[in-house]
Amino acid sequence: MFKWLSEFFLFSRNYVVFAILLALSLFLISINDNPQVRGLQVVGLITTSYLESGVNAVVGYFELSSANKRLEEQNGRLIDLLARSRRSLNENRQLRSLLKLKQQGENRLTAADVIGRTLEGGRYLITLDAGSRLGVKVGDPVISGSGLVGNVMATSDNFSVVRTLLDNDSRISARLENASADGIVTAGEYGLLAMKNVPRRFEVKPGDVIETSTLSTVVPPGIIIGLVREATDVSGTIFKRIFVQPAVNYSSLSEVFVMDYRPPSEVSMLLSKAMKAR
Amino acid sequence: MGYATLGILTIVVQKLMDDFASIGTISPQLLVLFTVFLTLREGQMVGMEAGFVAGFFDDLLVTHFLGFTSFVAVIAAFVAGFFYKEGEVEIVARNLNYAWISAIALIVSGILVIPIVAAGELNYFYVFLKFTVGTTIYTSLLAMIVVFVIGRRRRYV
Repeated sequence: MFKWLSEFFLFSRNYVVFAILLALSLFLISINDNPQVRGLQVVGLITTSYLESGVNAVVGYFELSSANKRLEEQNGRLIDLLARSRRSLNENRQLRSLLKLKQQGENRLTAADVIGRTLEGGRYLITLDAGSRLGVKVGDPVISGSGLVGNVMATSDNFSVVRTLLDNDSRISARLENASADGIVTAGEYGLLAMKNVPRRFEVKPGDVIETSTLSTVVPPGIIIGLVREATDVSGTIFKRIFVQPAVNYSSLSEVFVMDYRPPSEVSMLLSKAMKAR
Repeated sequence: MGYATLGILTIVVQKLMDDFASIGTISPQLLVLFTVFLTLREGQMVGMEAGFVAGFFDDLLVTHFLGFTSFVAVIAAFVAGFFYKEGEVEIVARNLNYAWISAIALIVSGILVIPIVAAGELNYFYVFLKFTVGTTIYTSLLAMIVVFVIGRRRRYV
């Protein structure tokens, strides 16, 4: 029996090793969500952040002139926007005080540069040059001037890694501004996002704005996610199929803001109380 | 030792290409090129084992998706192993055969990995077009450049 087995192994050695290595790879894929493996991934992410940061510094030096020109143009536009925002803010304050509404708390923003991207196997992560030393925490929302970029997935002292909306594992609670319908935004196909769980009874048109929902516990409401590209009814289900053009251009993303957002503690306390009561 | 250095260099360049040379979301699979090269020179068994180990480090440092590149590299080495000819190592590994053998290895591994990339959410045809075809074309073009640069110097091309 042993002789037969050893002959079989010698004859088909390559096939046996091939099968064993494939099985090992699939096993590794299956344990990616394991907390210990996540820890290992974070170590890898942080290690490569140093390489990216060094290369980015060299590349950034040569791009300083064009970046300067771009920033000057952006500055001009922002000054104009600031003047208009101030007027709107004053008007808003007056109206709020008239209506006795509670002022919305402002979330602290930390500016950061994008120093790296990871694009393989359905992943779409970006690395930022801001970490826990600047107050960045896991779960913090990340935004750009155009809209929501994603959420912080891991941090070290000086760097952080963000899971963007185009990542296959990303799930964000969203709302259609016009239809007032809530759903879940995930990564879609052909560089688009997909909005799911929106019932067919809602009227959704191309160009409708999709923003973060009030139901979300990870991002504040009202941040633009994108615009509806196409919406169709899916036969056999009660939901629509919505393709969303992301508001953020991920391929040219270079500067972002990390938002120090904490959902109202009263809500989470209430939720945990309700869970305990069950 | 030489192969280990080449493997480490491949992983570093792969990381930099993800940052600076990706087209849309398509990035070349340099580690597959490394694995195919190694397989054509050292045989199927060495290629598969080295592909698995190098893939593991690539996943740890570049893709951050453990098992993914190992899976692709082992399949690529297995496929490339059928083109290994003991007496013609240099000729096969350094002429245009290398580019098309890499393309075959990439397309086979790219097809087998579709269910993992689609993750039950994305359309298989979309993943095939973007991931399998896109990555194969981009990586094979790079392989041809490598062949022309190294092959011309040694007059194989």
